[in-house]
Amino acid sequence: MSDDLKTKVQDLIDTMINPAVAGHGGFVELIDVQDNRVYLQMGGGCQGCGAADITLKSGIERLIKEELPEVAEVLDTTDHQSGTNPYYSAGKA
Amino acid sequence: MDRLLLLLPTTTYRTEDFLDAARTLGVDVVCASEKPSTFEAHAPDHLLTLDFADPDAAAARVAALAGRRPLNAVVGVDDLTTVAAAAIAERLGLRSNPVAAVAAARDKHQMRQCLAAAGVPVPRFRPIALKDDPFLAARGVAFPCVLKPLALSASRGVIRANNVDQFIAAIRRIGALLQRADVEAAGDAAQFLLAEQYVPGVEVALEGLRVRGTLHTLALFDKPDPLEGPFFEETIYVTPSRLPATAQRAIEHVTAAACAALGLDEGPVHAELRVNDAGPWVLEVAARSIGGLCSRTLRFGTGMTLEEIVLRHALGWPIASLTRERRPAGVMMIPIPRAGRLAAVRGVEAAGAVAGIEEVAITAHAGQELVPLPEGWQYLGFIFARADTPDAVEAALRDAHARLAFEIA
Repeated sequence: MSDDLKTKVQDLIDTMINPAVAGHGGFVELIDVQDNRVYLQMGGGCQGCGAADITLKSGIERLIKEELPEVAEVLDTTDHQSGTNPYYSAGKA
Repeated sequence: MDRLLLLLPTTTYRTEDFLDAARTLGVDVVCASEKPSTFEAHAPDHLLTLDFADPDAAAARVAALAGRRPLNAVVGVDDLTTVAAAAIAERLGLRSNPVAAVAAARDKHQMRQCLAAAGVPVPRFRPIALKDDPFLAARGVAFPCVLKPLALSASRGVIRANNVDQFIAAIRRIGALLQRADVEAAGDAAQFLLAEQYVPGVEVALEGLRVRGTLHTLALFDKPDPLEGPFFEETIYVTPSRLPATAQRAIEHVTAAACAALGLDEGPVHAELRVNDAGPWVLEVAARSIGGLCSRTLRFGTGMTLEEIVLRHALGWPIASLTRERRPAGVMMIPIPRAGRLAAVRGVEAAGAVAGIEEVAITAHAGQELVPLPEGWQYLGFIFARADTPDAVEAALRDAHARLAFEIA
């Protein structure tokens, strides 16, 4: 079941998610699927990006849940502090 | 399910904490930024691009969206979004401050005029046109004074001048700053700055929530590092304040008066004040919650975050408690020591091992161009501490900071 779901998530990443984030120099890797929880890692322009949470929660998670309603949650395992080329950098305003 | 619009600039530190709070509350979130999300085409009802500098256009755009799927609340998370958030809320009939009140709080000259007219203690002030001859503009200015842009935050562009030469240099430096590509100054904010009396004393920050015109103090922070210039870099915040109770009551009273004078009756306020023998002086009142990651120092009731309180208030939901936890807490905004590119950060583990330290969050990334004050607006990161006393919190923050080493090329 999990392997099947993993294949479907990977397909979404390949066909819809990565083409979208590539516009900002980013990419997303599927780390694992456990108990209907999807573990992802963000790289490139997404790693450390000030808008990474928006991309993940309002973009990636929403898309995955719409396409695969059995997914309970999408979790970010990225070490954002190690990002070296984030698309947006935060500042105090 | 209630539906919430969050205005999240791409440069804000606050996205993660506000989205976490929204998830905890179980609301349907619409995120708006000033630049398009890579997923906007996939989720047009949940991702928006809005021009925060054009509140009327932003309100019209959101009204079209809300016509299809109504919104229950709108929250701007920091200074860049407060006026747009108020305009959207006004257009949709949602809980908010009046647009005029928020706009006055965003313009330091308007704010000073409003507060002075209401008898709220503020430094003496006068606007200076950048096109004017700075030597002539210095006439009639008492020294020391502080020069500041009308609409920037985080002490950006704030410079003390002790004499005419420093005054002229400061005006030129602020003028150049306002021309930078990363500064969005328009109208008066691009053409004027404010010269005001330097007020000696200790500085504090009051975090509050206005509910139907009543100020609820959520936290009062001491700023133990002296802020005497020439620049005014904020570093350590510790709460509860160690000032005498009478001084704390006076600070609350003056802040409430400032909010009332501006017409800020609903939502979060972040006020900065100086305190000396003459009492509290209001330096700033912003219609937003505390900036950076600093809100992570605050927990209320049984663990509610500041962001949850802000969202609950905007949604009109009950708030069980506005009482901060009793344990003293603090944050250090790690200053940028000099210009350059960040090559490496060392000592994070050692800093995190200091007793009382809860988190060391390095937000600058390797290779990032670092711009110190007064031109800069970012920090290297944030250190968070909790301990049995405010003094112990402050000591832990200083100890942890001393263990960090930043290699800047």
